[in-house]
Amino acid sequence: MATSNWTRRRILKAGGAAALALGAPAIRAQSKGRVVFGTWGGTWEAAMRKAWFDPFTAKTGIEVVTASGNTYGKIQSMVEAGRPEWDMVEVQPDFQWIGAEKGLLEKINFSIVDKSPIMPGKDMVTEYSVPQVLFSRVMFYNTKMSPDAPKNWADVWDTKKYTGKRTFFTRSHGGVLEAALMADGVPTDKLYPLDIDRALKKLSEIKNHILWYDGLAQAEQYMTDGQAQLGLVADGRVLSAIGNKAPVAIQNNQSLLTWSTMVVLKGAQNREAAMKLLAYALSVEGQAAIAMAYTYGPVVPAAFKAIPPERASILSGGPQQQGRFVLLDAAWWGKNTEVATEKLNAWRVS
Amino acid sequence: MGAFFLVPIAALLALSFTANGGAAVNYGRFLSQPVYLQVLQRTLLMGAATAAICVVLGYPVAYRLANASPRGRALLLAFILVPFWTNLLVRAYGWLVLLNPKGILNRYLVDWGLVSEPLSLVHNSTGALIGMVQIMLPYLILPLAATMMRVNPEALRAARSLGAQPLAVFVNVYFPLTLPAVMAGLMLVFTVSLGFFVIPAILGGTRDIFLAQLIEFNINQSLNWGFAGALSLMLVATTLALFWAGDRWFGLRAVWGVR
Repeated sequence: MATSNWTRRRILKAGGAAALALGAPAIRAQSKGRVVFGTWGGTWEAAMRKAWFDPFTAKTGIEVVTASGNTYGKIQSMVEAGRPEWDMVEVQPDFQWIGAEKGLLEKINFSIVDKSPIMPGKDMVTEYSVPQVLFSRVMFYNTKMSPDAPKNWADVWDTKKYTGKRTFFTRSHGGVLEAALMADGVPTDKLYPLDIDRALKKLSEIKNHILWYDGLAQAEQYMTDGQAQLGLVADGRVLSAIGNKAPVAIQNNQSLLTWSTMVVLKGAQNREAAMKLLAYALSVEGQAAIAMAYTYGPVVPAAFKAIPPERASILSGGPQQQGRFVLLDAAWWGKNTEVATEKLNAWRVS
Repeated sequence: MGAFFLVPIAALLALSFTANGGAAVNYGRFLSQPVYLQVLQRTLLMGAATAAICVVLGYPVAYRLANASPRGRALLLAFILVPFWTNLLVRAYGWLVLLNPKGILNRYLVDWGLVSEPLSLVHNSTGALIGMVQIMLPYLILPLAATMMRVNPEALRAARSLGAQPLAVFVNVYFPLTLPAVMAGLMLVFTVSLGFFVIPAILGGTRDIFLAQLIEFNINQSLNWGFAGALSLMLVATTLALFWAGDRWFGLRAVWGVR
């Protein structure tokens, strides 16, 4: 027993030393401070580095260190343990309420972050959050399998005309309830508060025609191989599938416009630097750069002037979408995700 | 072990009594909303089915592995371990590509006239089971093969020299000697299967919700750690109760050789 303890301690020490050695390059002393950003990783993080982090560091000398594994659960445990490792994170808008209610967020310093150029929209800016980029959940259809383009969600519910599968996100807040209500004839300006029971009743009509996707890679697979004829998918993924020659097209009618949000964590060690990075990301040049680097729309309308028209017309919030979208009610979802999920799950197993 | 494993689990379970409204709210919700018991039931049934299928498929493979030549064993081990080391998501997507109604398998089956319509092999419980069984098989095969390699050949030879037919030797001597490892493998596969959430989400259908998916949602999405704790405690308690019943009525402990 004593031997095994000794061994374990030695292993832990060696592990700690290795971790220090690996961490050392990140803690360079010559930079003018740093900010740690918990991101969603992947190609999106690479786009942010190109559009935001590198120019920001060049301009201010503040280094941007990224960390992955960004989930709400991890954020809460980190903040509650005190002195969070991360200064800021990107999240869905529901977290600007969930996180604020649990005391996990710092107020945004609006003397550093200029909110005036941000597009007007309910709850896009709160005391604790600023928007990051726009994205949409849009209707897509397979151009080879479909006789013609569906015009609205009622068409998507027409299983005689469109005989293939419909694909939706498994998570309740992925737009499936809004789509069902619009298919049932609820006017777009009367969608919220969502009538969950009515939505599920409408969803029952196509219960055997639904393919659920749990991640966007899965959704792209369904679009590419034709397993799904129609569906509701984040616009970036549909554009990616189209870029990879999948026979699908976007219908912007009754699309759901939403956005991602950036927040600063309570007790962040580099709060000032985080606010400065937010200010840069929301500048016209920062927003135009990110919209060029990734297929998300700018939350600062003035940035569209710096984006070529052919690029602008595929981005969320662009001219092609005007008058044809509903703004997702993030505040309603912040309060109701849990009950909506419970009801959707009950509907699924019933 | 205590600090790294038991303490965090105990802390989460304790939250179910203190956080988000306390025990009355968290357990009241579990018991009053039928969906949670339905999901628990499905989780247990799918775990049991996975374990049973793994035994049926894994036993002959373990036997082959235990009795193969060194070279044959190395080859078999490679076939078992390469998928075992492959990323879970990669395997799930692989099944999706292979088994979907427009996938390779169904195309051949239809082309050769073996079936008139594509088989529904994914996006339902069949798909979830296929994915889970593939992932869990090595957990059954490897310990079972290790036990089989320790079976004393003298015992088998003695049975045969006393006049037993090969089938009788297997049923009366060989199988009982390997039964503890079968039961241990069954329990291991069943218990680990209770924690699946990615596989049923990708390969399963509308009804395939597992308790772990709900726990994950409450930890990472709604931050309702009290309810997540309640869900976890119900899963742990039901599993322990099943083991206790198994021991009480089927004498699992004797089969395992524990006294």
